[in-house]
Amino acid sequence: MPIYDQGYRRYEGRSPLHQIRFWPITREALRLILAKRAFLFLLAPPLGVFLFYVGRAYVVTRFPEVGRVLPSDGRMFGEFLNIQVFFTIVLSIFGASGLIANDLRTGAILVYLSRPLTRRDYVAGKLLVPLSLNLAVTLVPGLLLYVVCLALAPEQFAKWELWWIVPAVVAHSLAASLVVSLVVLAISSLSRSARVAGLGFAGLYFGLEMVRAILQNGFNRREAALLSLQADLQALGVALFGVVDRQLDIFWGWPLLVLVAVALGCLAVLRSRVRAVEIVT
Amino acid sequence: MSAEAKGAAPPLAFSRASRWYGPVIALNDVTVSIPPGVTGLLGPNGAGKSTFLKLAAGQLQPSQGEVSLLGRPAWGSPEVFHRVGLCPETDAFWEQLTGLQFLTTLLRFTGYDEAECRHRAENALHQVELLDAKDRKVGGYSKGMRQRVKLAQAIAHEPEVLLLDEPVSGMDPVNRRRVIDLVRNLGREGRTVVVSSHILYEVEAMTKRVMLVHNGRILAEGDVREIRDLLDEHPHTVALRARDPRRLAAAIVGWPNVISVNFGAEGEWLTVETARPDEFYGALHSAALGSGVVEMYSPDENLESVFKYLVAR
Amino acid sequence: MRDTSRPLPFAKGARAVFELSLEGMVWTRRTLLMGLLVGFPVLAAAGYRVWLAARPAVPLPPAADLYAVAVAIYWIRNVLPLAALFFATALVADEVEGRTLTYLLTRPLTRPSIFAGKFAAYLVTTLSLALPSTVATFFVLLSARGWDAVGPAVGDLFRDLGVIALALVAYGAFFALLGVLLKRPVIPGLLFLYGWELLANLPGYLPRFTLTAWLRSLVHHRPAEEGLAGLFQQVLPAGPGLVVLVTVSALFLAAAAWIFSSREYVLEQ
Repeated sequence: MPIYDQGYRRYEGRSPLHQIRFWPITREALRLILAKRAFLFLLAPPLGVFLFYVGRAYVVTRFPEVGRVLPSDGRMFGEFLNIQVFFTIVLSIFGASGLIANDLRTGAILVYLSRPLTRRDYVAGKLLVPLSLNLAVTLVPGLLLYVVCLALAPEQFAKWELWWIVPAVVAHSLAASLVVSLVVLAISSLSRSARVAGLGFAGLYFGLEMVRAILQNGFNRREAALLSLQADLQALGVALFGVVDRQLDIFWGWPLLVLVAVALGCLAVLRSRVRAVEIVT
Repeated sequence: MSAEAKGAAPPLAFSRASRWYGPVIALNDVTVSIPPGVTGLLGPNGAGKSTFLKLAAGQLQPSQGEVSLLGRPAWGSPEVFHRVGLCPETDAFWEQLTGLQFLTTLLRFTGYDEAECRHRAENALHQVELLDAKDRKVGGYSKGMRQRVKLAQAIAHEPEVLLLDEPVSGMDPVNRRRVIDLVRNLGREGRTVVVSSHILYEVEAMTKRVMLVHNGRILAEGDVREIRDLLDEHPHTVALRARDPRRLAAAIVGWPNVISVNFGAEGEWLTVETARPDEFYGALHSAALGSGVVEMYSPDENLESVFKYLVAR
Repeated sequence: MRDTSRPLPFAKGARAVFELSLEGMVWTRRTLLMGLLVGFPVLAAAGYRVWLAARPAVPLPPAADLYAVAVAIYWIRNVLPLAALFFATALVADEVEGRTLTYLLTRPLTRPSIFAGKFAAYLVTTLSLALPSTVATFFVLLSARGWDAVGPAVGDLFRDLGVIALALVAYGAFFALLGVLLKRPVIPGLLFLYGWELLANLPGYLPRFTLTAWLRSLVHHRPAEEGLAGLFQQVLPAGPGLVVLVTVSALFLAAAAWIFSSREYVLEQ
């Protein structure tokens, strides 16, 4: 009677890689962020702005004279999204500045890359975190605002001439959220401290905005807007939605080029910083 | 004459000290005095060893009770650190400094002048065999080197009291041996050395005096053998190797102090459990002669066994 | 001969900590980033001179106005508070995150001397970025129309240097306090800078509760501003301004030192 060997047998099956294998990275990071009470407080201001614009749309339907002072057409969405861009910065500092910095500090990046994950998967998983947060305060309320406006004032918003609003909201939200997410992630990869990365991002953002203000006011150079990330994103909004802003009255191609260059630069930084091993000389 | 005998305060003393973090009690009503020499602080992870050392080093305040270091309260008395050295468990340094700079910087905090700082730093690095690497940045050190430079900063100012938290963690066997010898020498010099570890055989190699911690309480304190002798409810085990183990077994199985006799898997060995080891050893001589006993040892007179017995009580 | 019955004297301990901290602050990426931001007006001033030389017919704002904007708005209102937030919140937090605080706390150093050494290092680092930039910007801009304009304005330069130093002390003290009080001081710090400090632009008594308003009172430059600041800006008296700033700085520093002295630090393993 044969006695079978009960020892360890090597698995010889094929285990295909999941297509969205970076999803657990995103899911766990989002779960940790959403569990923080402080995060809910940070969501309140963008929600407040959204409610303000809903109220504004309602007021304009009741009192059409108000529409002469406060535009209630496609431009309203541009104004709204340009304000929400500021909140993407705050959310990114809070939720995303430590995403890679903490992994570098604790050595967890080795743990990630010792799984069947490529560096691309790791970066994609991490990128989805700030992207989700930022889209939650840009794309989602932007589209929701459009739906609410359609419901409240169909005669004003349900027009063929305004077909471009939805694509413009999607394009602007995606562009702003993606660029901000890439920048904060790249800065996070340059430091081992979430606090330093957050402050670095804030310093870069507000500092360049000040530089822009000095150059525009002091030298009367509108092109100085290209130096500021906020101004570039808002200029895109101006171009997409036809918002009037003297300081951002530049050809849309230039801010778009700057944003693309910034995005590519951030990807290059991530490519060089996200490694399993750091050589110390 | 020891300091205690003179009536001086013990170098390190806990008096009904407790410490909790929120609802979790990390150290529970501990009263001990640590005398000069090497004392091993042992326990599994989460037993309270780190909390004990942090209280001793004045990094934490006891929630209740008192902790005194060289006669002063450990918390809020920075002056004691002229005479106290701590080797922390965390692997953390100012990475941009070289080994020598790291030590001289810390010695400057102890009040020495530049020349004295350098001299002491080099001396300490020599003791841990890192003098050749003194001008390399700590960031480029291996794990074992980092551990040794941490130890060097603890001994550089020749403290009277040394608190060492896992001092041989991450070291290769050769360096581990060197550090163990260094610790023993420090104890022989009359310094008070508390070594915290969860690796029992490492502490056994350094000292016979231990303090066993479990669930925030001190289980036992003193010489390993003395503790073992006090554990009456656990029979002592004696392993004997003889040319004629069956004859030996026949001779001793009827003794009233013998609880059980087992034959080993390899034929020559016999394992005996006895409730009264002194009687057993006294009577063993004649039986041993007749059976050709060539080797004898007690497998449970070691720290691991003692600890298991104490935890199981 | 060391006195082992007492901790190291305050000044000696602070100096030792200062030297260590300065080494850790000076040649870092964040100091480089801050240096670029703080030094930007020098580049702008150089650009102004080049522009003026290349196109003398093009009307540009007067150099003195640009210098006023650089001092009152760029540095004092924006960049220096950001630099203070950047460095001062990290005084103790850096050591906690790096888990090196244990080494400092297990030396015969009083905690206030550790804190003082770290704050001194912050001050030296930021002053060494800000003061040379101010001097360089002043000379590059004000010499644009000839050196005759420079002489009478040198008094203003010294005053500006003093106010810039006081701004770094005041904001640094506040953010140092925030840094020891809170585990995550970045967002509250930004809210303070771009929320609370905007009260300085409101009418009435509220501006007295901001640092910006008092610093503004010490600076002679009054560049035109837009929005609320342009509408309601009021100038508080300079004498009380100096007293208030020095007093609150001392209070913030004392509070921060006290909190640091009484707090337990359990570093992550």
